[in-house]
Amino acid sequence: MKAQYKWLPWLFLTPALIIALVFTIGPFLNTIVLSFTNSTTLGGGTFNGIQNYLDLANSPQFWISTRNTLLYVAVVVPLLMVLPLLLAVLVERNIPLIGFFRSVFYSPVVASMVVVGLIWSWLLSSDGAVNGLLEALHIIQKPLPFLTDTTLLLLSCMLVTVWKGLGYYMVIYLAALGNVPKELHEAAQVDGAGSGRRLWSITLPGVRPTMLLVGLLGSIAAMKVFAEIFVISSGTAGPGGQARSLVYTIREVGLGLSGEIGYASAMSLALFILTIGFSILYLRSQRTDQLR
Amino acid sequence: MKKLPTIGFALAGVVAIGLTGCGLGSGTSTDSGSSSDEITGEITFSTLQLKPTFTDYIEGVIDDFETANPGTAVKWIDVPFDGAQEKISTDAQAGTLPDVINLNPNFAQPLEAQGAFVNLDDAMPGLSSKFVTGAWDAFQVPGEDGSFGFPWYLSSEVTMYNSSMFETAGLDPNSPPATYDELFADARTLAGAGADFTGMHPALENRFITDLGRMGVPLMNKAGTEWTFNTPDAEAYVAELADLYQSGVFPPDSLTQDHAKETEAYQAGQIALFPSGANFLTIIEENAPDIAKATNVGPQITSEGGPTNVSVMGLLVPKSSENKATALAFAEYITNAENQLAFSKIVTIFPSVTEALADPYFMDDSDGTVESKARRIAAEQLPDAENIVPVQFDDRIKAIVIGKVQLAMKGDLTPAEALDQAVEEANAVTAK
Repeated sequence: MKAQYKWLPWLFLTPALIIALVFTIGPFLNTIVLSFTNSTTLGGGTFNGIQNYLDLANSPQFWISTRNTLLYVAVVVPLLMVLPLLLAVLVERNIPLIGFFRSVFYSPVVASMVVVGLIWSWLLSSDGAVNGLLEALHIIQKPLPFLTDTTLLLLSCMLVTVWKGLGYYMVIYLAALGNVPKELHEAAQVDGAGSGRRLWSITLPGVRPTMLLVGLLGSIAAMKVFAEIFVISSGTAGPGGQARSLVYTIREVGLGLSGEIGYASAMSLALFILTIGFSILYLRSQRTDQLR
Repeated sequence: MKKLPTIGFALAGVVAIGLTGCGLGSGTSTDSGSSSDEITGEITFSTLQLKPTFTDYIEGVIDDFETANPGTAVKWIDVPFDGAQEKISTDAQAGTLPDVINLNPNFAQPLEAQGAFVNLDDAMPGLSSKFVTGAWDAFQVPGEDGSFGFPWYLSSEVTMYNSSMFETAGLDPNSPPATYDELFADARTLAGAGADFTGMHPALENRFITDLGRMGVPLMNKAGTEWTFNTPDAEAYVAELADLYQSGVFPPDSLTQDHAKETEAYQAGQIALFPSGANFLTIIEENAPDIAKATNVGPQITSEGGPTNVSVMGLLVPKSSENKATALAFAEYITNAENQLAFSKIVTIFPSVTEALADPYFMDDSDGTVESKARRIAAEQLPDAENIVPVQFDDRIKAIVIGKVQLAMKGDLTPAEALDQAVEEANAVTAK
């Protein structure tokens, strides 16, 4: 490239850089600065050192939120790595109406989370379809308190997250499955390998990098869980707010006319560090695994 | 290495943006502005969720005001209730609050704590005498002199109940409960009737703190700086709620549900008792005509000698308004007796001006409808009613308090533990 055109790439990048600067990098840096202040929604604020972080360390709500968020990641991510893969293997075949089934499995992805949450809160209510079915099958004698028991509420929210994410990750896996050589399957079939054996020895190693990607995307999404908990619990995060996630607490503390912006910013930074730290650990563990 | 200065400049720029935009400056202006006393020019007027149901009424009042005051123009903005706090806080930060703003006392308090509104006792002496005392007092901030809002329309709770369900349970359908003891006794009888309905819904977020106030429990200290509701009376009430929940008098999922779910449950015929604003009769009529036919009303539930509650909507004029004279004149105009009376005839709300409240319309239930009966009962309650919920009971405090009560109702905490923890945590937030 001639010297006088060296600025040209920057020219093309300028719109994207301005948008990133104004809407991502600027607010992020702003959040860092605010986390060291006692700013409120209306009242301005002053720098107060690491007071917000000390308050966080002593806040039971913060630790409950962190525990629930990590629990969410621990349960949801493995399911999101495995179930969409099995679904993708199932719908990969060219059989009649498979396009219809692929669309059906994908449909929760495009549905609004609020609508999905409302539907599930009806299904999971004491007189809802889930309890009705379990009672009809004589699995339970009285309705399970899906919406008023913290553990069941969290599990219900996790179920909804997995159900809603299945189609999205299934599509990613479908693209990856297309790259697994068919000849390997044919050769294994000739050697007498069953479908389970082929899934374990051919498909899984073939989609391993995609599983890594799905795991990472799923972890980041699970760290940011909010809508499921908010809608299904009618905005309460369960009795005593004990099913709260970090984003739920950040919203509760930071929003409204009495919002503590400084404290909420500190909590946002904690979530950021947790997410980045988790991602780095995850990537490193996968890399070590691959090197072996 | 040559690239470093460029990157350095970029980073410095970004940090500068972060620092300059970090919002450390106070958002609300306390500038009194430079307005003349002349009633002229354009003002903005915002309301909370009145479009489209009351569009004709509001536009009619605006037209009348503009005709009566040539040279004035009122620009009306309606804000949905959900998201109103975000809109108001953004406007306050940007210094672009409307000239006349419709808020309830809880929304107004955080702004007033920043000195955002015109003190009406100073700006319009003698105005307070025109209004119902409890409504005028709703816009006073503890520890400060004066009042900051024109009380506008009022809502007073009555006890709606399904008279068919009362008959099924063997209760007198013409004898609604009036006290908490009667309410809970009736609710237990209804739940034990063996029918497919229960007694009532707790709707904690809507009623718990009001119930304590009606029972005479001191909610805050006089200065409004500390919560004080962890008393033996409050403990007994929480223990009662826990017993009602655990014995199935409240629906099983009601523990974490709000007033909207309570309304749904009543309309679906799942509960027999529905203490709520009289304006909900219209909603029940629209959504569940069969339930509406069976609905009768009684007075607001109180304890002996305890106050009745009134919910207040008000109009406030920010100090930042550049046309305060016109804004104050418009707020006074829309809240005058004539306009409030006209508004009250469209929907079952009540005027905050004593002259309008004295109109025979509110006492006339000769048509025998439940609506007119509810109107009379509510109007009778209003002169002595108070806005019981302290203005400091914002969403954050509410979440803390209700959360602890939910745990007590489940049996995870004792009533004393729940209330002590609620008071301690609420005080920590209020003290910030």
